[in-house]
Amino acid sequence: MEITFAVLLWAVRILFLVLVYLFLIRVFSSLQRSLATENAIAARPTGLAHLVVQRTVRGAFRVGDRLPLRAVNGLGRDAGNDIVINDEAASARHALVEFADGEWWVEDAGSTNGTVVNGEVVRSRERLQYGDELAIGRVALRLEQ
Amino acid sequence: MRAQAAVPLGRGRFTELSLLIWVATIAISGFIAVLATETSSFRPTAVVVPLVFLALMLSLHVFLVGIRFRGDQILLPIAAGLTAIGLVLVQRLASDLLLQQLSWSIIAAGAFAATIVVPRDLTALARFKWTWALLGVLLLIAPLLPVIGREINGARIWIKLGPGSIEPWEAVKILLVIFFAAYLEEYREVLSHAQRRIGPFPVPPVPYLVPIVAMWVIAMLVMVFEKDMGATVLFFGIFLAMLFLATGEAFYAIIGLGLLILGGIVAYQLFGHVQARVDTWLRPFDEDLRFGTGYQLVQGLYALANGGLIGVGLGNGMPDRIPIVWSDFVFDAFAEEAGLAGAIALLALYLVFLYRGMLIALRAPTMFLQLLAAGLSFIIALQTLVIVGGNLRLIPLTGITLPFVAYGGSSLVTNWMLVGILMRVSQVSDRMRGGGPS
Amino acid sequence: MTSPISANIRSLTLTLALAFLVTSIGAAYWTVLASDQLANDPFNPRLIAATNDRPRGAIVDRNGTPIATSEKADAGFTRSYKDRTLAQVVGYASTKYGLSGIEAAYAESLIGQDPADPVSIWKARYLGDRAPAGQVVLGIDLKIQKAAADALGGRKGAIVALDPRTGAILASVSVPAYDANQVVDQSKQDAAFDQLSHDPNHALLNRVAQGLYPPGSIFKVVTGAAALENGFDPTKKLRVDDPYQADKSWGDYFVRSASHAHGLFDMSDGFRLSENIYFAQVGLQIGAAKLTDYAKRFGVGSTPNLDLPAAKGQLSDSGSIDRPTLLADTSYGQGELLVSPLQMALIYATIANGGVMPTAHYATEVRDAQGHVVRSIAPGPVGQVISPATAKTLTTMLVGAVSGPGAFAFGAKIPGVDVAGKTGTAENRPGEAPHGWFVGFAPAANPTVVVAVIVENAADGGVTAAPLGGQVLRAALGK
Repeated sequence: MEITFAVLLWAVRILFLVLVYLFLIRVFSSLQRSLATENAIAARPTGLAHLVVQRTVRGAFRVGDRLPLRAVNGLGRDAGNDIVINDEAASARHALVEFADGEWWVEDAGSTNGTVVNGEVVRSRERLQYGDELAIGRVALRLEQ
Repeated sequence: MRAQAAVPLGRGRFTELSLLIWVATIAISGFIAVLATETSSFRPTAVVVPLVFLALMLSLHVFLVGIRFRGDQILLPIAAGLTAIGLVLVQRLASDLLLQQLSWSIIAAGAFAATIVVPRDLTALARFKWTWALLGVLLLIAPLLPVIGREINGARIWIKLGPGSIEPWEAVKILLVIFFAAYLEEYREVLSHAQRRIGPFPVPPVPYLVPIVAMWVIAMLVMVFEKDMGATVLFFGIFLAMLFLATGEAFYAIIGLGLLILGGIVAYQLFGHVQARVDTWLRPFDEDLRFGTGYQLVQGLYALANGGLIGVGLGNGMPDRIPIVWSDFVFDAFAEEAGLAGAIALLALYLVFLYRGMLIALRAPTMFLQLLAAGLSFIIALQTLVIVGGNLRLIPLTGITLPFVAYGGSSLVTNWMLVGILMRVSQVSDRMRGGGPS
Repeated sequence: MTSPISANIRSLTLTLALAFLVTSIGAAYWTVLASDQLANDPFNPRLIAATNDRPRGAIVDRNGTPIATSEKADAGFTRSYKDRTLAQVVGYASTKYGLSGIEAAYAESLIGQDPADPVSIWKARYLGDRAPAGQVVLGIDLKIQKAAADALGGRKGAIVALDPRTGAILASVSVPAYDANQVVDQSKQDAAFDQLSHDPNHALLNRVAQGLYPPGSIFKVVTGAAALENGFDPTKKLRVDDPYQADKSWGDYFVRSASHAHGLFDMSDGFRLSENIYFAQVGLQIGAAKLTDYAKRFGVGSTPNLDLPAAKGQLSDSGSIDRPTLLADTSYGQGELLVSPLQMALIYATIANGGVMPTAHYATEVRDAQGHVVRSIAPGPVGQVISPATAKTLTTMLVGAVSGPGAFAFGAKIPGVDVAGKTGTAENRPGEAPHGWFVGFAPAANPTVVVAVIVENAADGGVTAAPLGGQVLRAALGK
């Protein structure tokens, strides 16, 4: 009786150690997997285009960041936007960038300070070409492949 | 037209869930082993506490899924795993304190949930940096005040809060990192580019360094008065690390380390308690020390030696010979019962935590968030290294706790809040990259 | 996404990872590499784990009379020591101050995990099944022990008696002693231990094995043995004139005779009358190399094999004899010689045992709780040091040294028994009275006991020590 108890107890103790190691391995492999996915996402050409940060302010992007674009993108200060622009000068919902009819389009979404492309204020829906510089608040973004 | 909200590739946080199941098995097997050794029989009541803990962690998980949190899924399970091991050890080493530690875990979980939700915008943290600095100083000074301050075991670092006591310096370490991160981001350009050099050595632009040095000096002085060597070392380390992260000058770190050693030598001459700690570290087995100030460390080393490769088995060691083992020497007690294998696994968990935290820092979209995440990860790593180093007689022993594992309410709460902030940073990165699994 | 901070993050992480690696190596060091050394450290509470929750094994004398036992107390068990005179031998088992003496040397046996019984060790470590401890049996005979303790009384010194055939120690007295019960008493232990560690008389020291003294004349048997084994004729008479000097190069250094002798002496005379000048000449004749050789064979300058800590002693400060004056002095037992009473007992045991030196040991058996012998402690002899013929010759001369006309060791005579022995009056520090030695064995034809006595700073030197030796021999022989 006592022997079986002792053996079982030791089995539980060994099990504890084994479980800790298995947990460690699982954590590590989850980490590696997520890293791989993150890298893949970062490296993967989206098939669409990117907005590359040219100018920025403290608290927002870093110069050189490549922001991937979908078919439809909302830009603004609100956290629910596809591209969040952390600038006081940007409105909560500032602008919209979308891909339609084979072209890129930008449209102001009713912002306070306006949306500027290549130095000119955008009044209605306008075409955005590669190399164009889009300014929202004090942040400038350039459309690239 | 409203923009489409980005949708993560999968709903729900399955990685996190599956890892939490592993944590549950660890907790259950640990509790069964410890309680079975105590009572010499297997009782079903052994699983009660682990299941309560599992329920707590699952509720956090459900909460995160419910608010569609898109951040990292690995930090929570690691913290949960370490906390679970901590509960097993508290049951083993100081079972009368188990209920307290469990209560603190619940409070910590609540604090964690709070940091996930508040503040809505992390960068707001940067805006109030001077507020945090002031709050930090107040919290540090509080234990020195007459009514609410308390001295326990020779260190005056506690304040009374109702029936229990808390250590405010644990919260201060986070406030300090936030303050440094915000300040250094603002003045980073100035500090690293606009400086002159004398030969190969950078000459720091003194006026810009003054505020952070002042902040740090205040922290050090307070710690010296409160007789807490561990916190002093930690604050010093945080300062150096943040400075290095912001400027990249290893020179500052080396000078800083030199100053620390110099300060240590001065402290050794001046302060009895420092002298005792250093003497004990250098020659603990000496006749005049092994029964006095060296007793704790010597007993800890005996425990380690008894552990061997796989330990003597949970519940089978003699950790009760080590004074205050449940908060100061958990590592040695764990190593005695789980062996070198267990000790390495524990260290590896902290290392993976550090790794994940630093990765979050690398991918953070703004400098402030980078500094914040790196600083917070550094805190956990440094704290672990300092206390384990002391337990292993690599460096003099200090009174700080092993994060998540050692008994200690304030430590647990602030470290869980730290995890919350880290996960927030990872969420910001994920959002900015347009979603995807974390 | 690289920013300047990213590079710093990477370097910091690398540094921290390295620190973790160093920490892991540290952990490996303590748990595996240094593990054995710490596990056997006498202060490790795991070795005295049994003290509180189960009784520790008893230490008994050769007849089974208890010397140290575990008695039931309010919280567990406490150790009770019955014989104050065996304090340094038996030692103490304190949860705070660790183990010493037999309690330390046989610590595992006393918690039921003797190395000769690996099954019990396994069961204790892995199943938590600790066998009730048995006992450690010492070779000590409490009757002889009492006689020795009474003989020495309150004088500082030591007495050891052993069986020359087996090396088992029959009595071991070291004065001053102390009460080990105080060291294990929770309320008194701190004061007691503090006092003992600062005691100017070193009560904790086992003078029998760890006390080192100049031997004086008792060392002459080594010189005599070296001479005999190298063909020296013991019947040849040498001229003795007090004071003696080999040649003028000795300057104002002279060998002095204790009795200011003038005349012709052979070796028997030399022993009987303890003539320094005779032996100085013998030493000069056989030479430093041969004397050193035999001293080494007799174990002078090495640590004797013993189950308790023993001191090493020395032939001379440098380990060799490099000048004629030192050779002369060493030959009659002074010079820079340092020996322990145990070593001297072993040297005379060799003579008593036909030239074979036994290995000394305090414990003779380890038994389990049912009384079965788990391990028998009977280490084999060290070896043949001198020939049986030399031993016989020396024995005869030593008998003369006790009972011959004018013998200095007359105090050791026992009616009806031939006692072989030698006194010594060892000069040590100038201004201090010399130490008094006596070493001897009986009965001379078939010796069963060897005794070595040293009385520190005894006014009459060997003459004080000899009767003590006689008393102990009597008790041992049952007379």
